[in-house]
Amino acid sequence: MDAAYVNPFLTSVGHVFRTLLKIEPQRKAIRLATRESPGELITATIGIAGEMQGVVALGFPLETATQIACKLLGQPADKVGELVGSAVSELVNMVAGAAKAKFDCDPPLTLGLPMVVRGTNYKLEYPEDATWLEVPFESEVGVFSLKVTMSAKMVGAA
Amino acid sequence: MKVLIVDDSPIMRSLIKSALTSNGITELTEAEHGKQALETLKTGTFDLILLDWNMPELDGLQTLKEIKKSGLATPVMMVTTESEKQRVVEAICAGAKDYLIKPFEPAGLIAKVNGIFKRAAQPA
Repeated sequence: MDAAYVNPFLTSVGHVFRTLLKIEPQRKAIRLATRESPGELITATIGIAGEMQGVVALGFPLETATQIACKLLGQPADKVGELVGSAVSELVNMVAGAAKAKFDCDPPLTLGLPMVVRGTNYKLEYPEDATWLEVPFESEVGVFSLKVTMSAKMVGAA
Repeated sequence: MKVLIVDDSPIMRSLIKSALTSNGITELTEAEHGKQALETLKTGTFDLILLDWNMPELDGLQTLKEIKKSGLATPVMMVTTESEKQRVVEAICAGAKDYLIKPFEPAGLIAKVNGIFKRAAQPA
């Protein structure tokens, strides 16, 4: 995977967090997301298809995800329970939506529907044999990470 | 003013409701996807439809086309993460009155909603 493919997603994370949450997340160094990485407690993923294809994931410790939902809704933590999953799901949707436009494909890349996984100790293994790159972030609502696997579609591939 | 909010994301519907309510628009109805929106439109009348694009069951563009096919004149504004120029053109050609890209500031949503109401109030 070309590491440059991550750049539109990094820009989009900043844009989405600034616009929606009024916070400026600080990115750390990009790294290979190894299969041994412990899974986050709540992860939202979304697929991208078209000339380019891949999957984007935003992973949050539950505390960070809860803080995000609180900030979005202006509600205390005990009032946002059911909407925490929806909050991270919408974040990955917005990040992927803003990023896919930067690939400037014609026709535009299409987004799947976001999916939220809760739990620990799981691995992202789709697409098969994909290389995932990971960029950790720190922010005033807590740490989180962006994971991306993206590639140009092979000519002639279905 | 009566507004139908069509979005599969509960938190997005909540954010839109909060922005509209804070600006005195309180007659709000929600639908989780296009099919539900079309059912809702059979039984009620609205002054504006806010329509997401990527949804299960029936996506926003198809829903918009169905609304226009039915002859309903209610203005529709797309509220979506789809930000490419081609997508905006597609929606406007299909009959959308305006287009708002997520993420947005509440003030941006209100300005566009008020703009649509203002235009609708002007004599043709």
